Order: sequence, then C-alpha cells, then structure tokens
Amino acid sequence: MHNSKYALRTHQLTKSFRSFKKKPGIKGTLQSFVKRDYTTKNAVDGFDVTIKHGEFIGLLGPNGAGKTTLMKMLTGIIVPSSGDIEVLGYTPSERHKIFRKKIALVMGQKSQLWWDIPAMDSFKLLQKYYEVTDQNFKNRVEELSELLAVKDLLHIHVRKLSLGERMKLELMACLLHEPEIIFLDEPTIGLDLVAQKRIREFLASYHKKNNCSVILTSHYMADVEALCERIVLIIDGKNSFDGSIHEFQNVLGRKKFVQFRFSEKVDNKASIWKDLDPEWNPAGNMVNLRIDESQLREKSQEILQSFPVSDFQTDKMPIERVMNTLLTRPDLVAKSAAQKAQQQAQQKNKDKA
Amino acid sequence: MKHYLKVYREFLNTCFSQAMSFRINFIFLIGMELIFYSTNLFTVDFIFDYVDTIGPWNRDQFLFFTAFMLTVDHMHMTFNSENFWWFSDDLKRGNLDFTLLKPISSIFTVFFRRMRPGTLPNIFTTWGLMIYFGSKLDFAWWAWAALPLLILTSYAFIISLEIIISISMFWLTEGHGVNFLRMQLQRFSQWPDFVFMYFTRKALTFFFPILLVGTAPVQLMFDASNWKYFILMLFYFGLSLITIKALWSLGLKQYESASS
Repeated sequence: MHNSKYALRTHQLTKSFRSFKKKPGIKGTLQSFVKRDYTTKNAVDGFDVTIKHGEFIGLLGPNGAGKTTLMKMLTGIIVPSSGDIEVLGYTPSERHKIFRKKIALVMGQKSQLWWDIPAMDSFKLLQKYYEVTDQNFKNRVEELSELLAVKDLLHIHVRKLSLGERMKLELMACLLHEPEIIFLDEPTIGLDLVAQKRIREFLASYHKKNNCSVILTSHYMADVEALCERIVLIIDGKNSFDGSIHEFQNVLGRKKFVQFRFSEKVDNKASIWKDLDPEWNPAGNMVNLRIDESQLREKSQEILQSFPVSDFQTDKMPIERVMNTLLTRPDLVAKSAAQKAQQQAQQKNKDKA
Repeated sequence: MKHYLKVYREFLNTCFSQAMSFRINFIFLIGMELIFYSTNLFTVDFIFDYVDTIGPWNRDQFLFFTAFMLTVDHMHMTFNSENFWWFSDDLKRGNLDFTLLKPISSIFTVFFRRMRPGTLPNIFTTWGLMIYFGSKLDFAWWAWAALPLLILTSYAFIISLEIIISISMFWLTEGHGVNFLRMQLQRFSQWPDFVFMYFTRKALTFFFPILLVGTAPVQLMFDASNWKYFILMLFYFGLSLITIKALWSLGLKQYESASS
C-alpha cells in the first residue's frame, strides 16, 4: 500500500541528454560520421517541487525549458539522470503496475488513439488495459461523452475528425480509468479559441468534481489563468518560480498595465516615458506602460495633460505580459525570489518577536 | 494471464477493424502471401528436378521442411512482423511513450500489438501444405500429435530471437539495419542446417541458434533419436527469455523519447 502525503514530490531532479552538432553539407556529414563532438545538456537541472493532492498546477516555461522532459520523468516514461521523484508514493521509473493505473498523460502533439479505427474501438482496448469493469466503462463513456459533447463522434474513424474533436476524445481516453493524477502537456495546442475554451471548461469542471491532481503545461496563458491555482515556472530546467497566480502577477512589482491611445503621433523620446517600460505601436500613436500603483494617478494625469489622449485603459499586469517579460529577463525572477525570501524572513522575525 | 488474454483479444479486434477498413488491401495481402508460398515451394521442387537428394533428404522430406517453415513464417507474418518495423519508428518518434504508460508488459504491447489480419485466412493454405507433404512421409503417430506443439515452439523461439535483435534499436535508434539483419537471419532459418558449411553451421546453431528453429523440430519428427537438438532449442528458448527481460530493462533506461 502506497500512501503519500503528497501527490508528487521531486528532489534535485536532473535529466541530461547527449547530442552532437553536424555541420551542413556532405563534408559535414562525413566528418560527423567519423568523429562526433558530443555535448551534454541538462534538460532538467536540479528541479524541486512538491504538489499536494487535488492541486491544479500550471507548469510554464519557454520552448526547450524542460517541461515535457519533466512530465516524461514524472510519468515514468524516461528515467532521470539523478535526483528523486515520488508520485503517489511510487517511483515512476520503476513503472509499477498500480502506479500506471493511477496516472494519465495527455500530449497535445501526440495521439494515443488509433488513427484508422473509431475512438470507441480504442476505448475498448483501454478498458482491457486498465481492467475497467464493463459497467464502469459504460457509465464512464456515457458521462464523459456527455460532458465533452462527443457522443456522435465515438463511432467515426479518428482520421475523419477535426483536431478539436480528436483532442476531446484524447482527454476522454485518458480519463476512462479515473486517474488520481493527470498530466496535461499542452492539451489545447493548435486549437481555435472556441475549442480551447470548451476544453478549459471541461477540465475545470472535471477537476472540481473529481478533486484529482492535475499538472498542466501550456503556452496559452488563458489556460493557466482559467485553471491553475498555482504556477511553477521552469527556465533552463530549473524551478524559477513557484507560487500562486497572484504572486506571479506581482513578480514584476506592484505595477499596473496602462494603455494610452493618442489622436496623433506623439514624441516617444519625452522624459515622461522613462522608467515606464513603454511599448509603442509602429504608428507611434499608442503605448503600453507599466506604472507603479503609487504613481498611477500622478503619471496618468501628466500624460493626459501633456498629450492628445483619445482613449486609455488600465488593468492589472496580464499574466502573459509577466511571462514575456520574465522570459527575456530571467534575472527578475531571481530578484523576486530573493525579495520573497527576505519578506518571509522578516515575517518570521516579527512572529518570533 | 487472463488480463493478457483479454488485451490480446482486443488487439485482434482493433487490428481487424483497422485492416477491414481497407478492403482491397485486405484481399491483396491474401493473394501476395499465396504467391510467396508458391515461389518457395516451386524453388525447392525445381531444384529436385535436377538432383535426387540434398544432403540426407529427398524431395518429400525437403518439401515438408519448407512447408513447416512456411507455417512458422505465416504465424510470424500474421502476428508479429509488423511490430518489428513499427518499433524503430516508435523509438524515433517517441510513440513508445504511450506504451510505457499502460499497466501491462511493454514487451508484450510492442511486439504483439499489431497484426496483419489479411494474411490470417492463409492459415489453411500453410497447414494444408504441411499436412499434404507430411502425409507422403511415414511419420509415427506421436510425430503428428506433436506437430502443433512443435510449430508453436518454433514460432515462439524465432520470435524471441528476433526480439533480442530488435532490442538493440534502443541504442541504435535507426532500425532499418537491424531489421534487415533480422530478416537475413530469418532466411537462414528457412534452410536445414546441413546446407551450411561447418563453421557457419556451428555459429548459427550454438552462438546465435537460428538454425535450430526449423532443423530441431523437423529432425525430431524424422527420427526420434534426434531429440538432443530439440532439447537444445528449448534450452536456448529459456535463455532467450531471460536475455530479453534483462536487455529490455536496460533498453528502457536508455530510452530518451523524442522532443515534442
């Protein structure tokens, strides 16, 4: 019996891959055939994370940051180079049968459904794999197909379905055996906005109803904002941020995002824009600014008085913008982490006092 | 075991469902297989138009051996052949990922998942030919009774040897070379051991015992005093199962999947 306090925990998890570079052309091909200069890169590098039962986590990071490699280690597909993982009390790389019955992985860029047969045939195979009883299987298919609105698609050959329809069926396939922990690797990739929204709604309601643990990677911030209580940021294989969405939005400081539109092109070299991280449109008549909350009133008034403002709007820092900034300036994450640690230490001292 | 049988039945269902989606291809495969069997038998028959014996065997004995091996080959083609070709592709593209997630032996899924149902109807052809050529020989009753078991043993043995070869793809990734090697060794097995020179015969009997696949059971049927070869085959079969388990475990540690 494997009981664990946590759904998932990693300690100093590292995965290295060895690869070689080949110069172009026939000369390069011959050279690399005879002699190869291998380089070893850590795709995941000393990654630590702890996830509680029932949490919905967003795993964010740029391309090549190590998200998928991490997912594959957590599910036992690949074996770590070093470090420890515990998922539901099991070591994934040991591939224990019970462990495999408790997890599910959906990969947006790969399919586990058979292309040339209807999804229902693939589901029946999955039923046998996971030893789901006939009654449970029937109930589960009924319930999930209704929730995902795919009842009419179950008997159509998968190759005839649209990407959005296929993804719904992929989700259904991974949930048939009622997994305790679900790994979703970019489940909405390539889908149109309507399909993305439907998948998000389904995931939110499924999680609410079943209280399973979910780890989601996505490039769409809308997914993360709509679904995740907590964000883990992975950059260069390292856990660079781990906290709530609210904390994430404050990584860049307590700043507001303000957009000004002008009736004509304005001077973008004026001193007022300094320190407000201006982003201008090519026509020079619209600017996005980040203004500290304490300066918001004063700066806005100054801009309204000095320039022909036709429209303006303010918002909290959109998560997408925070993400983009962090990816170009990872030092800000370190700064934020240091500040957070300092605040925590101060709080501790206060509590002691 | 019950779990595996249920899964295997579903493998059959899905493969039939898939194969029968393409009706012309389904019928085409049956025809192609018949041509393949005819070519093999006519080649042997043609040789015997010019010689009376090859080694210690006459025409009927040789044709029986060929039909025996065609029966083993037919099972291999129907139930496993596709999997060996897909395995290399699955490794390169990372499609093995989903196999490794399933709560069942990954060796079983990798090498038994895909079938070629289009060739299944030819089971009557291969068994019919084998019984026809066997009826021209004076087999003892026990030889006839043991025939199905001998076929199954030979089939299981050749599959186990081919799995060992295929596992090397974990390290080589590109599997075409391995698959061609596998096919060449398969061709060796379709000849009795005495047609090979001394060194090759010893190497392919004791080092990589592919010649035992056909020679051991058929020699046993011809003459019960040849039981030692068959025991040797059983020994190597057991050894190959242990080797598969150990190599597969090492291979999975080596598996890097593919980037998304």
